Amino acid sequence: MKKELIFVWACKALTLLAVSFLFFIFLFIAKESFMFFQKTPLLHFLTGSRWNPMADPPAFGLLPMIFATVYVSLLATAIALPIGVGMAIILSVLAPPKIQWLLLPLIDLMAGIPSVVYGFAGLMIIVKFFETHFSWSSGESVLAGGILLAIMILPYVVSTCYESMIKVLHHYERASRALSVSKWHMMRYLVIPTAKKAIFAALILSLSRAMGETMAVMMVIGNSPIFPHLFRKAETIPALIALEMGGAVVGSLHYQALFAAGLILMLVLFTFNSFFFFIRKHIDEGIKW
Amino acid sequence: MHRFFRFLFASIMIMSLVIAGSQLAIAADGQIFFKGSSTLAPVISQVAQQFMEKYGTWNKIDASLPDAKIEIFVSGGGSGEGVKAVLDGTSNFGMTARTVKEEEKKAIGDYHEFHIGTDALTISVNPDNKVCQVKPNLTKDELVKIFSGEYRTWNNLDPALAKEEIVVVIRDIGGGAHEVFQKSVMKKVDVTPSAIQSPSMGALVTKVIENKNAIGYASFGMVNVHKGEIVPLKVDGVEPTVENILDGTYYVSRPLLVVKKGNMSPIEKAFIDELLSAEGMKIVEQMGFVPAK
Repeated sequence: MKKELIFVWACKALTLLAVSFLFFIFLFIAKESFMFFQKTPLLHFLTGSRWNPMADPPAFGLLPMIFATVYVSLLATAIALPIGVGMAIILSVLAPPKIQWLLLPLIDLMAGIPSVVYGFAGLMIIVKFFETHFSWSSGESVLAGGILLAIMILPYVVSTCYESMIKVLHHYERASRALSVSKWHMMRYLVIPTAKKAIFAALILSLSRAMGETMAVMMVIGNSPIFPHLFRKAETIPALIALEMGGAVVGSLHYQALFAAGLILMLVLFTFNSFFFFIRKHIDEGIKW
Repeated sequence: MHRFFRFLFASIMIMSLVIAGSQLAIAADGQIFFKGSSTLAPVISQVAQQFMEKYGTWNKIDASLPDAKIEIFVSGGGSGEGVKAVLDGTSNFGMTARTVKEEEKKAIGDYHEFHIGTDALTISVNPDNKVCQVKPNLTKDELVKIFSGEYRTWNNLDPALAKEEIVVVIRDIGGGAHEVFQKSVMKKVDVTPSAIQSPSMGALVTKVIENKNAIGYASFGMVNVHKGEIVPLKVDGVEPTVENILDGTYYVSRPLLVVKKGNMSPIEKAFIDELLSAEGMKIVEQMGFVPAK
């Protein structure tokens, strides 16, 4: 009894600790951004299209970067989701156990590769490919970023979907065999509808991850604060912060503007997540299994 | 219950000590921390490495120094980060690859700096670019037009060149290298927003090596390392050579500084002496920069 209480309190304390970390991070970012918004109106920050903190007077327009962040992440998710779900279906339903046993750890391993390595490979393969085969002046583009990010988030999509699919398969395996239902029928009427929720979870997970990914995107996207175009350079908010934080003078308007950009990124992520949460609730209520 | 709370308090106390300790880490025996410019970081690391191998413990240099292992930690992060680290007291020394601004000096208060060497920004292109033969010398005016985006294609610069887009490669706008370039070349004109911003000098040079239409301000040190892969152009008829950089005729250059807040402790002084010694300067030269002495 006593031990149980200790356990409960330990869990509560640790949760509180974790939540307070998050809270303090948010507070710190909000504090720095607040000082920035005192000097620059929020609306101007959100709708301005020119970013040049070193100009006189400095220009802080984040709109191109907001667009680029959302654009690249959506593109990456759009590429990764169908491929990932397909891979999960093949792995869970069709592949023999030996292949599953071999491939799954490999796919999980992909998630562990440092993003600098991805970025470098992207620079040398994807960007180079665009330059030599499409005769673009430079291969750094939203497309290059999207493809690279899609590869990076693929393991998340695959493992999230695979786990839920294999669960359904195991759950209904005996019943299906008893009724002599074919694998394909099971896949069509059981696995895929049930996986809807998992696909949604994968979508949220991969989108959040894509939006926050910094190093790899920074290396292949060109980092130009202009409006994004599929075949042209762009700059995402994480790349902007990572690039300029090192050079910004502490406490300067530029420094605070970068924190404000971070705050906006958090808000964009929050908006997306709550939107998906809302939809997911509807799915939960609409479909019963 | 009671015991658990004691345990919880104890762990919180330990944790806060650890957090506080990391702030005071520089007080530890025999350790020196450097933070800042990623251009200067490899030079300091190299000198530190040799220094550690040569002596091992501090008291081998001078008996009055503590009997502790020599440990020198170097990390990059940018010139601004170097000033910040000194200001916050999170490292003993800051490294900058630009002059320190007056307001930064004022914020630090008891400010000291050591001039380690000089780095020039060479206007470099890919060797496959015909501009190396057609127009190996650019005027400042032409440079401004290229980097501001007024010249969009290479044949705007000279009709003999290919009608291909000029790919302008720069470092991050807030960084030390760009600041030097902005001040000495661009002055009031902004660099085109569609320039590629490289996260490091290495990435900038890689881009110029990989793309035949690229032009960027590669560090003098990098050009020496990548001879033949990138070609530096003359600016206003002046070639970026050691002599020209030292006497200031090649004006696109920047100082490499180590900055310090307050007086140096004996071990800090011992290392700075080594850095400024003939051996230290030899390493600065080996890394491709122009040594201060």
